[in-house]
Amino acid sequence: MSDPITIEFGLDGERRRERIAPNTVLLDLLRDRCGRLGVKASCERGVCGACTTLIDGVPVASCGVFAFSVDGSSVETVEGRGRADDLGPVQRAFAECGGFQCGYCTPGMVMLTTALLREHVEPDDELIRSWISSNICRCTGYQMIIDSVRRAAELVREERG
Amino acid sequence: MSAGHAVVGTGTAQRERHAVVGTGARRSDAAPKVTGGARYTADVRLPGMLHAKVLRSPHAHARVVSVDARRARALDGVHAVLTRDDLGGLSPTYGYFIKDQPVVAIDRVRYVGDVVAAVAAVDERVALRALELIDVVYEPLPAVPDIDAALAADAPELFEDAPPGIVPPYGTGASGRLRPRRNVCYEFRYETGPEDAWAECDHVFEDTFVFSRMNHFHLEPFVTVADVRGEQIEIWTSTQNPFPLRRELARVLQVEENRIRVHVPYVGGGFGAKHNCKTEPIAILLSRLAGRPVRYCLTTEEGFLTLSQHSAVLTVRTGVRADGTFVARDSTVLLEAGAYSDGSPLVAEKAAYRMPGPYRWKRVESSCACVMTTTTPTGPFRGFGATQSTWASESQVDMIARRLGMDPYDLRMKNLKALGEPFVPGESGIDSDLAEGLEVVAGALGYHARPRTPNRGMGLAIGFKDGGGVNKPAQARVKVSTAGDVYVSCGTVEIGQGASTTLCQVAAEVLGVPLRRVVYAPINTDVTPFDQGTNASSGMTVMGQAVLRAAEAVRAQVLEFAAERLGCTAAELTLRDWAVRRGDEVTPLPGLITAVFGGTGFEFSGSGFFKAPNSREAPLDAPCVFWEIGWAGAEVEVDPDTGKVTVLQLVASGDVGKAVNTLVCRGQDEGAAVMGLGQALFEEMRFDDGVLLNGEALDYRVPMAEDLPERFVSITQEQGHGPGPFGAKGAGEGAMVPVAAAIANAVHDATGARISTLPLSPERVFDALQTR
Ligand code: FES
Ligand code: FES
Repeated sequence: MSDPITIEFGLDGERRRERIAPNTVLLDLLRDRCGRLGVKASCERGVCGACTTLIDGVPVASCGVFAFSVDGSSVETVEGRGRADDLGPVQRAFAECGGFQCGYCTPGMVMLTTALLREHVEPDDELIRSWISSNICRCTGYQMIIDSVRRAAELVREERG
Repeated sequence: MSAGHAVVGTGTAQRERHAVVGTGARRSDAAPKVTGGARYTADVRLPGMLHAKVLRSPHAHARVVSVDARRARALDGVHAVLTRDDLGGLSPTYGYFIKDQPVVAIDRVRYVGDVVAAVAAVDERVALRALELIDVVYEPLPAVPDIDAALAADAPELFEDAPPGIVPPYGTGASGRLRPRRNVCYEFRYETGPEDAWAECDHVFEDTFVFSRMNHFHLEPFVTVADVRGEQIEIWTSTQNPFPLRRELARVLQVEENRIRVHVPYVGGGFGAKHNCKTEPIAILLSRLAGRPVRYCLTTEEGFLTLSQHSAVLTVRTGVRADGTFVARDSTVLLEAGAYSDGSPLVAEKAAYRMPGPYRWKRVESSCACVMTTTTPTGPFRGFGATQSTWASESQVDMIARRLGMDPYDLRMKNLKALGEPFVPGESGIDSDLAEGLEVVAGALGYHARPRTPNRGMGLAIGFKDGGGVNKPAQARVKVSTAGDVYVSCGTVEIGQGASTTLCQVAAEVLGVPLRRVVYAPINTDVTPFDQGTNASSGMTVMGQAVLRAAEAVRAQVLEFAAERLGCTAAELTLRDWAVRRGDEVTPLPGLITAVFGGTGFEFSGSGFFKAPNSREAPLDAPCVFWEIGWAGAEVEVDPDTGKVTVLQLVASGDVGKAVNTLVCRGQDEGAAVMGLGQALFEEMRFDDGVLLNGEALDYRVPMAEDLPERFVSITQEQGHGPGPFGAKGAGEGAMVPVAAAIANAVHDATGARISTLPLSPERVFDALQTR
């Protein structure tokens, strides 16, 4: 096995320095080393999107990228979006509209929505549907997730004034 | 694209006002789930924890000649290896009715993916490397790839000796048999009514339908963390039925039940898959061998090799009068059970029993056989046999209508059972107005005024199942602290269905406190009251009644206590916001409590129990708790050049009696309907000669948001006839069950072509269009 390497990256607004094996997958780094258990592991094949995080603002399946590739980048996870007693607007919308059931896809859906709303303040249903189509939810049938995204857009707009 | 949801109330339930019940209150698990704070079994980490991986059979069927794990044991980082040589002192096979599935292969492997050996190592990579060092010699045997092969006269027998099994007690008209013939592990039969009813029929129609097999595709994998210390066995596991699991593990391990403590954190979806032994026995045995905690988590690919839905062949013979009156129905169902029986016998009971559907008959005969093949074992799946039976029954109803020159809607209306009419003799009455529900869906779809446009059509179907489980006891405890903080403790697993919210709503309503004062206690089988399992849409009608009774017991205690202090009778008092009220006089409870029990306080605690009474008259030994009805309507457009079916509208509706939480009910129905949509159009485990072709996330297609129909409407009916708290019924499966038939019926309406095999893939529809 090749020698460990050191990477530096931003994680939910904090600087991190980690020594890792070069073949470490970002998802494992986040869950096992950085304690970000809110980032979910499911298919680990880049298909379901449960592990979605933002790398420099772009939603990425963290199971599909090596950890070294985030050297110098900023990584955002669901755990940086708010706390149970202080939900972020996207989280509030999912809570209010019931855009989750088992909740296993929810961290990924929240991150996907966060990225969408940074790019498009007023996404229409078509756009929402096509964004959400990159992630699997087996429980909800998606409509209540779409409602949640629409509501999140309103809340984000309110927040920005 | 448009979507909508409506709550339609017709019964008395809708008119009664409640403070907490009947709202769209935010779910209690919202904050942990949207922040990533919710902890699932997959997130459990223990100090010194090892990781397990298993070696799986590359053969569909083979004798295991030898298993040599010496090289694997010697590998650095390996702490334990489990093979058939380590099963001494155990009762090493498991299953629901039939104990046929070994913890690891003993004498044979019976499907590609069957578990042969397991390793616990410092990490999964080392465990995987160790698996390559296990030497197994197989002697291949002929495969039994499908139902036809299994039933052939010269088919190899998958189990030469009968595994231990039982037939449960049945009531009037029902019977079961173990191994009635080669490669059939169980057969269930039911009959009622006079045989000569067939003589009254003007027409007898026989049709055969094929039902394809889906994977559950729960996003949280099968996963267990086990920590065995001396005699104490502690597991955290992603399961739907912790108590029956504990019992089965005790039997397999040959230990006392109270040595096994089962914790169930949040479960990331199950849809029926997560019952009884899955990852648990191997995690425990490896932990016992290694003396350290072991985490055994399957990949999605391994999930495909662990359990799936039953594919089925259903032959239905239906006799009718010339005017369309249904008279007699004889159904023969073959379920593909795969390599091990798992829950197949129970699914067989239900598939056969539900074949009459929601209609009136003079004579019913049904049988269902579980046919063993060398493929992934099959077991409980949302709908539990009803999806299969409804696919056949509701497809055939439409076919019969067209043969008789009637509108399928009218034929249904003519034959539906009335509200309160028993399903069969000895059964409970149907607790939904079936006709009213059908009209709600037909109306929302625009069925009656449907335009006659070429290649466009509409179809309806009614999903029908007995709900609430058979012979299911449930216990609950509700306790309240000095300050009025409430705990609900019971064994219903929060698997996404929202039970941890709705059951708390029931307690909150009874105790007159806001929902946020009620906490759902985590499940730990040492302290949580007994429950049979989170299944059969039983959460509200079975456990809900136990919780209701527990909360009522606590309320009664509190009122008695306060009445004694205040020198009045309990009947004069009401309870609201943790104060007792007598006319205008309001007395907060905390002061009353500390006056008696001292400043350290007290807890009021009440228990509740519910079980439907047994009855020998009832075919399944106890009358059904509630009837789970789902109505679906679809409008489709069929492309005649490609066979592609586009669903323009899908209307799905369940009758929940009374919605305890409208948000939760809507979510259950919509999730179920979209699963049905996948089943109808494309979702399928594809096998070639018994070999699974698409057992991974990328190739196996589940519905995505872009698959939603242009118009998707869900309607929560509150007809008000439910047996549960406040008139509630169960939900969660009903809206899946009719969807495939509704879509096939719409395709028939659009094109005149009948597709009787699922899914309605473009190839299949195109072929049907050519031969129509
Ligand atoms: S776990 Fe990363 S995409 Fe499925
Ligand atoms: S809520 Fe269960 S997968 Fe989306």
